Amino acid sequence: MANAALRNVKVLPNSANMEEARHRVFEFFRTACRSLPSVMEIYNLYDVVSVSELRSSVASQIRNNIHVTDPKVIDMLLFKGMEELKNVVDHSKQRHHIIGQYVVGRQVQDSATKDPDTSTFLKNFYNTNYF
Amino acid sequence: MATNTFTGASLSERFLRLKLNQRLAFNSIAGQRYSSISSYGRRNVSFSSQPRSIRLTVSCAAKPETVEKVCKIVKNQLALSDDSKVNGESTFTALGADSLDTVEIVMGLEEEFGITVEEDSAQSISTVQEAADLIEEIINKQSP
Repeated sequence: MANAALRNVKVLPNSANMEEARHRVFEFFRTACRSLPSVMEIYNLYDVVSVSELRSSVASQIRNNIHVTDPKVIDMLLFKGMEELKNVVDHSKQRHHIIGQYVVGRQVQDSATKDPDTSTFLKNFYNTNYF
Repeated sequence: MATNTFTGASLSERFLRLKLNQRLAFNSIAGQRYSSISSYGRRNVSFSSQPRSIRLTVSCAAKPETVEKVCKIVKNQLALSDDSKVNGESTFTALGADSLDTVEIVMGLEEEFGITVEEDSAQSISTVQEAADLIEEIINKQSP
């Protein structure tokens, strides 16, 4: 059913200014959050994660790019984000992809970067596993 | 195929609650079936989901309960401790929330109360009391 909402998504023209790009980011986040219950149903994630945790994971991924100020770059990131959301909702990914990227991936990345004694080899190993 | 075995009544209740939220969310998404998602103009979101009567009664009768529930969701979303004071006059920016956090709080409130907040209304929320008032207004609008 979430496919119907995303089927009408068109590629919008470039944002005129920073405020319009910021508005579109919130719109994309709202669209992604409304798709999360159907994502939980499609991939059967009830026993590994909750909707609020997935929402926090999506928000943290958006917050990773909080430093971007060029509207063109933001539009490109939004396009890639919408493409990713469409792939998730259309079941173009498998269950372990969702778990690896949005459930476990954040914890592993956080634990890797927080441990100063970890060697560079292991840090790069952890990063490449989840990107 | 993973076999789901729920041990304990609390997990079953959580599952049922998620099922209910999911059904309500499906109604919200299905209502936008023929509408194009764009940032130009207002989005006409049809309020097709019907909240349960017991929730309607509680939400309409006791306004402080709605404010308390909103405060609980805000604390949970911003990872605040339980002893930090959050009341109706607290603003989201004073609690350390940026604009994305505010949108996330609104989405959490949508999930909890089973409603769909319009985009223009969501942007005007800045305090807990305004959020609770908007939620009760939407619930009253949805009730038959």
